[in-house]
Order: sequence, then C-alpha cells, then structure tokens
Amino acid sequence: MRLYLAVTAWQSWSVLMRHMTVYLRNWHTAALPPILEPVILLLVFGVGLGSSIPAFDWKGREISYLAYLAPGILAYTVFMTAFFQALFAAYIRMHYQKTWEGQLTTQVRLEHVVWGEALWAATLGLAYSVIVILVLVGFTLSGWLDLHWKGMILTLPLLFLAGVAFAALGLLFTAIVPTIDHMNIPFYLVIMPLGFASNTYFPLDSDSLLAQAWLVVNPLHHLAEGIRLLLLTDQLSYHLPAAVVLFGLMILILLPVDLRLLRRRVLGEA
Amino acid sequence: MDAENKSPDSPLLEARGLVKHFASRRVVDAVDLHCHGGEILGMLGANGAGKTTILRMCYGFLQPDAGEIRIGGINRREDPDGANRLIGVCTQDDTFDTDFTVRDNLLRFGNYFRPRPSAIEERVDQLLGRFDLARHAAAKPETLSGGYRRRLMVARALVHQPRVLFLDEPTTGLDPQARMSVWELVDGLRQEGLGIVLTTHYMDEAERLSDKLLVLKEGAVVTSGGPRTVLGDLVGEHVVVLDANIPEADAVRQWLLDEGLERPTRILNSWQIALDGAGLARFSASFGQLRFEVRPPNLDDLFLQLADKQS
Repeated sequence: MRLYLAVTAWQSWSVLMRHMTVYLRNWHTAALPPILEPVILLLVFGVGLGSSIPAFDWKGREISYLAYLAPGILAYTVFMTAFFQALFAAYIRMHYQKTWEGQLTTQVRLEHVVWGEALWAATLGLAYSVIVILVLVGFTLSGWLDLHWKGMILTLPLLFLAGVAFAALGLLFTAIVPTIDHMNIPFYLVIMPLGFASNTYFPLDSDSLLAQAWLVVNPLHHLAEGIRLLLLTDQLSYHLPAAVVLFGLMILILLPVDLRLLRRRVLGEA
Repeated sequence: MDAENKSPDSPLLEARGLVKHFASRRVVDAVDLHCHGGEILGMLGANGAGKTTILRMCYGFLQPDAGEIRIGGINRREDPDGANRLIGVCTQDDTFDTDFTVRDNLLRFGNYFRPRPSAIEERVDQLLGRFDLARHAAAKPETLSGGYRRRLMVARALVHQPRVLFLDEPTTGLDPQARMSVWELVDGLRQEGLGIVLTTHYMDEAERLSDKLLVLKEGAVVTSGGPRTVLGDLVGEHVVVLDANIPEADAVRQWLLDEGLERPTRILNSWQIALDGAGLARFSASFGQLRFEVRPPNLDDLFLQLADKQS
C-alpha cells in the first residue's frame, strides 16, 4: 500500500519536475519528433498506402484506411512514448547517469523514483497524444478526415492512465535487462506484438480463439477501438471501461514487481 | 519528538546491533556505531569487510535485518524522511545530475528535501565559494577534474545543512594535492560541529582525519577507539622490519611460533613483525646479531595484517 500511496508524495512529483525541467530546456528540438512523426505516418501510411487500399467495412460502416489509422496512431503514440521513456530513458538515468543513486541520497526513496519515472512517462505520453490530436484536428479541418471531437476530452485521463500502465511495463524491463543491448529482446518479443496486434495499424479480424483472447486482454486494443468508436461514430463503448480496468490491473500488478526488482538492481537488496 | 528528548552530548549517529545478510551470507554482524557532533568516525577494513554495506544501511539504501539506527535521535525505520533530512551523503561514485550545471546541481538537490533548505540561492553561492567551485558554476560536472568533482559531491551533500555527513572513500583516485584539499574541507566541517562518518582505503587519511576508528573484518568489529589505541591493540607497539631471505629465517619463524605470535607479514623481500616492548626486548636478545629496523606501527600494518588474516 505504501508504494501506491507514494504517488501522492512530494518526492515523486519532485522527480517528475526534474525530468520536465530537463525536457523543457530542450523543447525546441524535443518537440520535433512528436509533431512530425504523426504527420509523416498519416501521410505515408494513411494517405499514401491508403490510396491503394479500398474503403472497407468496419463495424457496419465503410471507412477509409486513413480514418481507420488516425485513432490507432493516437493510441499507439501514448503506448510507445510512455514505454520508451520508462525503458531507454529511465535505464540511462539509472545505469549510466546514476541520477537515481543521487536522488536516493536525499529524502527521495526508490518508490518515489519509480513513481516519478512513471508519472513523467505518462505526462510525456499524454503531451505527445495531444500533439497527435492537434494534427488530427488539422486533418479534419482540411477535409482529409471526418472525425467527431465532442467526447475526446473524456479520453485525456484515460491516455494518462495508459501512459502510467505502459511505463510500469517499461520499468519492468529496465529492472531486468542486463545491458542496454538486451533491450531488443523485450522490444521485439513483447512490445512489437503488443503494439501491432492491437487494431492500431490494421484490423485483426481473425476468428481464431487465440486471436480473440489476445484482443480481449490487450489493453492497447481496447484503447485504440474505444478512441476509434468515439472519433468515427461519436459513441462511447465498452472498450473504454475495459481499457481502464486493464490499465488499472497493469499498474496494480506491475509496479510492486518493478519496485522489488529495482530494489535488487539499484540498491543491492536481496 | 524523539529527537528533541536527546541530550546535547548524545551521539548524532547511533547504530546498535546492525546485522545484514546477502543470501545466506552474514555480511554485517552485530555492529555498533556512534558518532557525535564535531567528530570523525573512520571505518577501516579490507575489501568485503562490510564498510559500504554499513554505510548504505545508515543512509537508508539497505534495511538492516536486525538492529536499530538513530540519527539525531530519530529512528530511521520509523521516520526515514526525518532521518534523511539530517544526513548528507557523498557516495563512492560520482552521482551528479549530468543534465544540469554545477550550480544547478546544488539548486536541484535542494528540491529533494522538506522542509526546503532556507535561502537556497545564498546557500548555494556560499558553498560554491567555500569549495572553490564558483568559477565552474556554469560548467557541466563531467568537465571538472577529479578533485573538483569530489568537492562538488561534498558540497552537494551539504546543501540542506545536514548534521551528519557520510563520506564513502571520498578521495579515492585523487592526486595528493587534491586529497589534501579534501582533507582540509573535511576537517573544517568537523570543526563546525558536523558528525562525519568516513570510509577509506588510505591509511594516512584515516589516521590523520579520524577521531575514532572502527576496524572491521568479515562484517564484524575487530576493535574500535582512537587511532593509537586501535594500533596498539591490533598491531602492537613496535614493528621489526628485517630481510626475509636471511639464513636465520627459519630460526625467526620458530621463535615466533614459540612466542605464540602470528607469522610475519611479508612485503616483497622483507618481513614485518609486530611486537610489544617486552617482545622486542626478547627478540633483540635472541637475534642481536641480525640487522633489522624498528619503527612505530601505522595503519598500513594494521590493514596488511587484517588482509593477511583474511587470506
């Protein structure tokens, strides 16, 4: 319980503020990828590749590939941003820069460092998602897309929660990979399957029981489909509460495991 | 409130019965520590003796399996935030925040304490001046020389005006001049009333700086007290140095056995034999014809003896 309560501790927010200060100092270069990446992906895949893909049936409506892709990119953005922050950036701070060890010589304890990293990863994931939303608004205004924006404000807390959950997953690998080179293993064996087999970039319409079971437990699938239904049809669906439950479970289960493994790795505690 | 009940001469750091296991191995075994304000407690021991593990328990990185640590009267387990507010830590490795300048490292560090350090800007300026870091204030820490990095580490540990300072091998890897400047700073901090706990591999450092020494071997305290007392207890009053390749070597070895003494410590081609006054007189009577030198013991002898016993 102490771990969960640490989210409200000033120490966790001090760690978050430290990361934000560093990021904002380099905002002019750091902001380029989150702005350009969705534009490029939407143009290359949505418009370019989409022009070769005829409109297809999705939940009884005929939609373009660009319309299908746009909400997927939004969900994928929070997933990848939060995961990468908690994996690569956190690993560098922990292992190479020894920032964590410095923080731990103060009133900051490891549970605060873990929460600070997770909150920062989620904050960045949310910020990048908002940039994607602005890009999608631009596509809507220019007539490329026909999206409904009324319910979108509801998804912002969900995107933040998703960021915390995916950060908890990233921190799990930060705690266990022996070296930075070993990060390819979780990336290709866990993250790529989780990210792509999730109805983000393409519909996974297989009737196989395995595929259906995978989609039920894959929180990214529920996030992508929930946002897609909201943006394309202006409907709230069961996918959104399903995503809340799954993200909540990820946080509840993964964070104590992260803390236990990181305690061993960072502090040498058995 | 616990802290307020302590009398002024109570130790700032008080650890009793510390025990720590890694897997099934007992790496710290019933260690007691006491350090008062204005005092430097030196911890000595060979590699693996448990020095760093004890320090890491004192500053909260590790939880002891048994025992209690009080800092300024505050029980560390019951109030870790309160205990950590009173300590400054200078770890063995540099742990700067490399995304910030020297000055910003000090300012940023102040954000990790509550109550916040008062007048933090003035405090940082004062530390930059005192540690001769003002001209490097805008530089990144990794551009500093080894000596200045250590200065920054110590300065950072003092931003919040702690009462106890932990220094884990503060001068390792520094040139003699840089080491001496760190010694002067540490000595100044002692005079200001800080309680300082120091681990070091340098015998001259421990001897010159420490008011009290704690000698550890395999996680347990072998002896403690003033440097001279510790030496007397463990090494003896005199050290006889003689050539190890003399024809009488076997006779000397036999004499030591007959006297119930340890075998001599060998350094290159010489033997070093620790003896008390009476032992020296008997040795001289038995081997008056030999050429040997007699010198007072130092902490190197102690360290070598400990390492020798460990091997």
